[in-house]
Amino acid sequence: MNQKLLGLTRFKSEELLGPLATVILLSIGVGAISASLQLAVQFALCNMVMVLALQIFVGNSGVLSFGHGAFAMAGAWISGMSTASERVKGNALALQDLWEPLVGFKLNLYVSIIAGALVGALIAAITGAFLMRLNGLAAGIATFALLGFSYNFFFNNITFGPGSQALPAVPKFSGIYEPLALALLVIVIVYFFNISPTARSLRSSREDLLAAPALGVSIQRVRWIAFTISGALAGISGAMYVHVAGTWQVQDYYLVFTFITLAMLVIGGSASLWGAVVGTLVVTAVGQILLLWEQGKSVLGIQFDLPNGARSLIIAGSLVGILLWRFAGLTGGREFKIPKLTSSKSSRGWGQSSQFCATLIGESCLSQRSNM
Amino acid sequence: MQPFLDAISLGGTYALAALGLGLVFGVMRLVNFAHAELITISAYVIVVTNDLPLIVSFGIAALTAALLAILTELTIYRRLRGTGPAIMLIASFGLSVGLQKSFELIFGALPRSAAVAPWMTGSSEIAGLNITVSSIVTVGLTVAILLAMGFLVEQTNLGLQLRAAATDFKTSRLLGVRSNRLIGSAFAISGILAAFVGFILVVENPQVDPMFGLNITILALVGIVIGGISSLRGAALGGFIVGFILSILNTFLGNARVYAYSYLFLAVVIILLVRPGGLLSKGNEMERV
Amino acid sequence: MAILDVRDLKSGYGKVDVLFGISFTLEAGESLGIVGPNGAGKSTLLKTIAGEITTKSGEVNLQGASITGNKPEDIVRLGLSLVPEGRQIFSGLTVTENLMLGLTGRRDKSSAKAAVEQVKSLFPVLNTHADYQAGMLSGGQQQQLAIARALVADPKVLLLDEPSLGLAPTVIADVFSKLREITASGTSVVIVEQRAHLVTAFANKTLILRAGKIQASLTPESAKDEEGLRRAYFGANS
Repeated sequence: MNQKLLGLTRFKSEELLGPLATVILLSIGVGAISASLQLAVQFALCNMVMVLALQIFVGNSGVLSFGHGAFAMAGAWISGMSTASERVKGNALALQDLWEPLVGFKLNLYVSIIAGALVGALIAAITGAFLMRLNGLAAGIATFALLGFSYNFFFNNITFGPGSQALPAVPKFSGIYEPLALALLVIVIVYFFNISPTARSLRSSREDLLAAPALGVSIQRVRWIAFTISGALAGISGAMYVHVAGTWQVQDYYLVFTFITLAMLVIGGSASLWGAVVGTLVVTAVGQILLLWEQGKSVLGIQFDLPNGARSLIIAGSLVGILLWRFAGLTGGREFKIPKLTSSKSSRGWGQSSQFCATLIGESCLSQRSNM
Repeated sequence: MQPFLDAISLGGTYALAALGLGLVFGVMRLVNFAHAELITISAYVIVVTNDLPLIVSFGIAALTAALLAILTELTIYRRLRGTGPAIMLIASFGLSVGLQKSFELIFGALPRSAAVAPWMTGSSEIAGLNITVSSIVTVGLTVAILLAMGFLVEQTNLGLQLRAAATDFKTSRLLGVRSNRLIGSAFAISGILAAFVGFILVVENPQVDPMFGLNITILALVGIVIGGISSLRGAALGGFIVGFILSILNTFLGNARVYAYSYLFLAVVIILLVRPGGLLSKGNEMERV
Repeated sequence: MAILDVRDLKSGYGKVDVLFGISFTLEAGESLGIVGPNGAGKSTLLKTIAGEITTKSGEVNLQGASITGNKPEDIVRLGLSLVPEGRQIFSGLTVTENLMLGLTGRRDKSSAKAAVEQVKSLFPVLNTHADYQAGMLSGGQQQQLAIARALVADPKVLLLDEPSLGLAPTVIADVFSKLREITASGTSVVIVEQRAHLVTAFANKTLILRAGKIQASLTPESAKDEEGLRRAYFGANS
C-alpha cells in the first residue's frame, strides 16, 4: 500500500526555501516592470497571506471556513483606524460620529499590524470556541454567518468606523518590501506550524474523524488552536491590505475577497504551504492577464477582447474546472520539491495522479470512486 | 396581527428555500450555493415575461430553474460524486459566482424590474383586521407547498426513495433505486421550489440583480444548520425559524433595524451553543457528514 | 448453463488490489459458501459482483449475459440481489417502508403483491412489526428484514455478506433454516461467512478465499477434514 501520509513530519529545508525564494524572485522581478504591476504584486502579497491563513486551518483540518474575511475586516479596521491621520479622523464627513477616543488613537504602523493580528486572533478564539463544537460541514456554513455578522456590523456602524463609506488617508507602504517581508514572515510561521505536532494531530482528524480521538487527540482543541492562529494571520492580511490600498472599506473584505482567496487555495492545493503559494501566484497571474485583455491591451503579443466581468467568470470556471480535473489542486497537496532529473522512481515531484487522498474533510478516497 | 403574519410569511418563504437546499443535500451531501442562482433566474424570468399571464410567466420560470438545476448536476456535480462534501461545497461556491457573472453578462449589472402581480399589493379587511394581501397570499402559498412536499416525501414512492437515499445512498442503489434519476428529480424539485421563492421575493422587491437570491440562500443555509443538517424536516424548520426571527427583528428593532442580521446571527450562535447538532438532533451528536 | 459465472475477476479500491483473479460458477438452486480469514476479500468479491465496486478486469455473467461493470441498480433488476454486511436497513423508516423499497428493484411489478405476501409468510416478523421503525428491531429481526427486502426483488441469485454477524446461535440457526427454504424454492444463494463451520455443512460447495485468491473448494464431506481445512484457510505454514 503506497499511500504516503501527506503533511510534513520533519523539517526539510527545500520545502521552506523553495516558496520563500519563489515569492521573493517573482515579487521583485514583476514589481520592477511597472508601477501598476508593483501595485498588483502588493495586493497579491496581501491575498497570499490570507490564503496562507486559510491553508493552516482549512488545509489541516479539512473544515471549510468562509468567515476569515471577518478577521481580515477587523484586523484591517484596527490597523487602519490607528494609523489614519488624526486630522482626517476628526474632520471627515464619513467619520463625524466617530467615538471620541478613536480620533486620537494612534499606533505605529508595524505595531498596528501586530494589533491587527491580535484582534483577528481574539475574534477567532472567541468564535472558534463554539464553532469548533459543530461538525465540519455545519461549522463551515456557520462561518458564513460570522462573515455576514461582521459585514453587517461594520457596514452599519458609524460610531466605530466609517460604516459603508471609506476610511481615508491610511498611510501606505512605501513599496513592495514591507508587504514582502510580512508575507515571508507568514510563510515561515505557516511552515513551522504545519510541521508541528498540533498540526499533525489536526491532520489525523482530517483523515479519520473516529480514529483520532482514540489516539488521544482532542479534535475540538486542535481545531481551535489552528483556527485562532489562522485568525491572527487573516488579521495581518487585512492590516496589510489597508496599507496597500491606502483606505479601509468594508466591501473589500467581503464576498469577492472570500471567494478569490478560497479559489486560490483550492486551485493551488489546500493541503500544503506550496499549494497556497502556487494558487495565489497562478490565480493572480491569470487575473492580471485577463485584466489586461479586458482593458484591450495585449500580453506578450497576444490579445483577446474580453467583455467586462468575464474575468471573474473565468476564474470561477477555473475553480470548478480544477475541482473536476484535479480536486487536490495543482500541487496535489505536495510541498515544494526540486524535481530530481535522475531515476524516475525516486522523483515523485509534481504531476501526480489525482487519486491522492489529499481530500478535504477526511473522506478516505480509497472507498470513494467506487462505481459511483 | 400584521407583524405576526409577516413573520410567518417570511418564515414560510425561508422554509421553502431551505427545503430546496435540504433535498439536494439529502441525496448528495451537496451544499448547493448555486441554489441562489436558481432563485435569481426565476426572478429574472418572471420580470422579463411580466406581460404574459402570471401562471404562464411562473411556469416558464419554474421550468427554467428546474432545467438549470438539472444542467448543473449533469455537467458538474455528477463528476464530483464521491469526492466529499467539502469539495462539492467549494465547487458550488465557484459555480454560484460563475452563474452570477453570467447573469451580469446576460441581463446587465443594473437591476431589472417590473411590477409583478400588482393584485398582491395593498391591503384588505379580513375578519375586521387590516392586513396586506401579499402576506396572506404568501402564507397560503407556502403552507400549501409545504404540505404538498410533506405528502410527496412521506407518502409517495419517490419520497420514500429520497428518504432512503438521504440515509444511505449506497444501500438504496443495491435495492434498485436509480441514482441518476433520483438525484435529477431532487434537483428538478429544488428548482421548482426555488422558483416559488423567487416569485414571492420579486413581488415584494421587484428589483432583480445578479445577487438577488444570495441573501436568502445564505440565511437558509444557516437555517439548515440550526434545524439539523441531515433531515428535511429539520431544514424546513430551521429555515422557518430564521425567516421568522428576521421578520420580527425587522419589525421591532426600529432604527436599529439595520442590525437585524447581526442579532439574527447572535441568535443562531446561541441556538448552536445549546444544540450543536441542530434543533432536531438528539443533543450531542458529532455527526459524521 | 450456470446461473452465475465469474471469470478471473480482479478488483480493489483505488490503487489497492484486493482480488487477484476469482473464478467460480453457480448453478440454479445451488448454494455456495465463501469463507476465509479477515482481509481475504470476501466482502469485496460480493460487492464487485453486485456492482458496488468497479471491476478492474474479468467477467461476471448472470444467466449468460454479462453484468460486468453494470450499476448496482441495474444488476438488481436483472435478478441479483446483495444483502450487505451489517444488514444496512434504513433505521429511520418503518419495516413496511423498508420492504417497499426492496420492490424498487423488482422487474415484474404486477406480481409484487404476491411476492410481498410470500415473503411475509416466510418471515412473520414483517407482519407483527409492520409499522415499527426498523431501527427498533433486534439484530435477528433486522437480518430477516434485510433478507426479505432483497427477496421481494425476485432475485435468481441472492448474495449474503456475513448474515450471522452479531447474532446469537439460535437466531443464526433460524436464519439459516429460512435460507434453506429459499434455496429449496429455486433461488441460488451465495453466503460469505467468517465462521466456516456455519456454511460448510449448509452449502453445496464452499470456496476458501485467502489473500484475494481461491485456495480450495470444499463439499460438506471434504469439509470434515479439519487439517486440510485449516491448511487451506491459514496457509501451509500454520
